[in-house]
Amino acid sequence: MGSTEAPARAARALGPWHPQEFMAECVETVPEAGGLMTFVFRRCDGAPLAFRAGQYVNIAFPVNGEDQDPVDRSYSLSSSPTEPWTFNISVKRDATGLVSPWVHQNVKPGTVLEMLGPVGAFHLPDADRRARYLLLAAGAGITPIMSMVRTIHSLPGHADVVVLYHGAEAGGFAFHQELAYIASVDSRIKVFYSLGDRNKPEGWEGLSGRLTAAMLDEVAPDANGRQVYACGPEGYLNTATELLGKVGVDDTSIYMEFFSGDRQTLLEYQAELALAVDIAEEIAEEIADSAEDYYESQPTAFGLYEPGYDAEGPLQATGLPLETVDPEAPETSDGGSAAEAEAEAPDASSFETVGTGSLTLSFMRTGINVRIDPTEHILGPAQRAGVRIGANCKEGMCGSCKVVKLSGEVDMNHQGGIRAREIDAGKFLPCCSTARTDMVIDA
Amino acid sequence: MTAPVNLPLKSRGKLASSLPAEQLAEIAGLFEFRRTGYSLDAPFYTDPTIFKIDMEAIFGEHWIFAGSVAELPEPGDYITVDYGPYSLIVLRNDDGGVNVLHNVCRHRGARVLTEAAGSTGNLVCGYHSWTYSPEGNLIHASAPGETKFDKGCFGLKRAHSRVVAGLIFVCVADEPPTDFDETSKIFEPYLAPHDLSKTKVAYQQNIIEEGNWKLVMENNRECYHCDGHPELACSLFPTWGLTEGLIPAHLEEVWDRNKEAQSSLEERCRRYGLPYEVVEELDTRIAGIRISRESLDGEGESFSADGRRLSKKLLGDLPDFRLGRCSMHLQPNSWFHFQSDHVITFGVFPVNEHQTLVRTTWLVADDAVEGVDYDLDKLTYTWKQTNLQDKAFVELCQTGAGSPAYEPGPYMKSEYQVEAFINWYVQRVQEHLA
Ligand code: FES
Ligand code: FES
Ligand SMILES: [Fe+2]
Repeated sequence: MGSTEAPARAARALGPWHPQEFMAECVETVPEAGGLMTFVFRRCDGAPLAFRAGQYVNIAFPVNGEDQDPVDRSYSLSSSPTEPWTFNISVKRDATGLVSPWVHQNVKPGTVLEMLGPVGAFHLPDADRRARYLLLAAGAGITPIMSMVRTIHSLPGHADVVVLYHGAEAGGFAFHQELAYIASVDSRIKVFYSLGDRNKPEGWEGLSGRLTAAMLDEVAPDANGRQVYACGPEGYLNTATELLGKVGVDDTSIYMEFFSGDRQTLLEYQAELALAVDIAEEIAEEIADSAEDYYESQPTAFGLYEPGYDAEGPLQATGLPLETVDPEAPETSDGGSAAEAEAEAPDASSFETVGTGSLTLSFMRTGINVRIDPTEHILGPAQRAGVRIGANCKEGMCGSCKVVKLSGEVDMNHQGGIRAREIDAGKFLPCCSTARTDMVIDA
Repeated sequence: MTAPVNLPLKSRGKLASSLPAEQLAEIAGLFEFRRTGYSLDAPFYTDPTIFKIDMEAIFGEHWIFAGSVAELPEPGDYITVDYGPYSLIVLRNDDGGVNVLHNVCRHRGARVLTEAAGSTGNLVCGYHSWTYSPEGNLIHASAPGETKFDKGCFGLKRAHSRVVAGLIFVCVADEPPTDFDETSKIFEPYLAPHDLSKTKVAYQQNIIEEGNWKLVMENNRECYHCDGHPELACSLFPTWGLTEGLIPAHLEEVWDRNKEAQSSLEERCRRYGLPYEVVEELDTRIAGIRISRESLDGEGESFSADGRRLSKKLLGDLPDFRLGRCSMHLQPNSWFHFQSDHVITFGVFPVNEHQTLVRTTWLVADDAVEGVDYDLDKLTYTWKQTNLQDKAFVELCQTGAGSPAYEPGPYMKSEYQVEAFINWYVQRVQEHLA
């Protein structure tokens, strides 16, 4: 379902949807509120970067000079994967940190960095009949959330998004202008801000105070029917987990990304990255072997955002769930299953051949080849050759002659004796079909 | 005892008029002198002639629940529905509509389709291969040498059908009661948001209860016996059916919890524009109905021990899991529970005077994946248990009705809906016999 030609090609243009190691060049820097700086990159090889909204990249920063080992850091992508030719990370300056001050100071248009990505399980689904989200962000935790908001905004579809964004001070909400703009033009997206009580200035119109169950209820009284994506500091996320439980959100509907982690979380990141490195290497090899085959095998993406929705609600679920493809798995092609069946079946070349005509029909179970003219209905010659096929109406109405073709093409002129579904499954009615090619038939 | 077996399809009152006057008078008397507020006399549950009258007057004249659109998702999909002397084919046609055909071959009467459900192109009788189009037209009968044979005269007989909010209703009467349209208008807005056209069958259970169909329906109209349903008791407030003033001391706490849950449910319903008010017209209209949306205990989401969801995918475009249960009783043969995460339909199909098929079907969102979004055993647990308990209750009564010592007993206050159902039944049959 949902796998159609067009998106597959789009995905191919964008792919691969797996972590790779690549070099990227900074093309622009944009200062944001709250001490963040956005760095816009593009890949040095000119390829687009395919990722999912919410994922991150791991970047090697030559903090101690080009001749020393670089320091790795992971940063969420804040741009939308629907604009894949460039991608953004937004870095908050932490005066006591090793990397972020260096980044703010040194990364400029022209800076080239080594990257690995995309990585991370914290992202929007590829297909969701009910795109109904509650996005929670605190401080710099807005970065992946911003990517999600931009993505949903940039694509058509039926979505219902509530963003609740906590900040420390009124001037510290990164992206607030863009968020305000999006919320003003996109009725699917609502944005709420909340400030800690201490720093509430005169005239503040947003919410105030830390996250509470009452606040969740206020911004999203239907929270328990939403998928929740939350990103921020650990303490904030712990509170969120507890409160979400209280307002009835199921554990399995909560996705979180820690922006500062304890040892455990850091270890999990490391594991994720290590896996990403493995995958990146395998895929690089595969592409080196045959880029064509590799891209052909890429699955559909962005099913979620195909316009399978209208104002009335979802029309139908579209898109394929996009999970890591097992590179070991054998490729499946259209002819695959028939070819397999053929491989297991007895060898038709040893069968006796009867009749005359330009085409050969091999009846595998009976073990006979029947030669036939392209103008002849298949049933008669087959029956005369001793193939047991039940038949009644001989006009394509009753379906009693239905058989499965293992290969070959027919022209069928039926009258309701067979369903489109059955035809798709390879069945046909020999009483009202002529052969177009040689055929192998399961009868 | 030996009434004619071949009930003509289209002759109203035929059975009644063919009964010996004496027997008819006796039966009419049973209806006429039925003691209000008391259970029915034994013959209503045990007598084959009364069963035949029931089939004629109730199942032959009213709209019957047959199944839901989830059971025939694609063109060519069908179910066969049997009750009393009837067998119907309910088939999804190419236009997306539903055709209902009598499953009786026009050659020599064989059942045309013998499976309970399946998928077909044309309909081929297994006996001599008469072939009918999905519309029921006879399109092929190999009849060598036949001259005076007009295929146009031998189509499968059709019955009426209506699909409302994804529920399929059939009526075999020549002229179906028009009141059903009014009843549909009552329940459609309650059920439509759950969008059955985007659901699939997760599980279907068929049980034959050794009891008259009326006992099955009666049993479902009261919760006086709900102590016998420990699994259900986790979800249903044990105060169900009670009203202020009838609450025993030990249930006061539960009653408060119930009231609170109900008022927060109602607030939610108002927010989302979902109707919840009780409509109760069990014996005041031909298609008797009771419908409401009521809170469930615990988290209030579904029929689970803690009240949490049993399927993770919301139905339709519903925004919220805490929507309690929208429950409907629809006379003569069905009841339903519509939750945010799954729907359960119950169809009652009489077999004979002492056996009834109860078909329970669990529907989940069509994009819900078994084992990922729902666990089938957990999904079906509460009602599988409850159904078995109810079957046992019904069978206890059926056995009792067969005893010479049986005598109608009084319905309690909390059983007023049973009385209403019986009152409806008696009225409907009397009108038919008149
Ligand atoms: S014999 Fe009837 S469809 Fe072929
Ligand atoms: S009874 Fe159906 S074809 Fe003869
Ligand atoms: Fe019960």
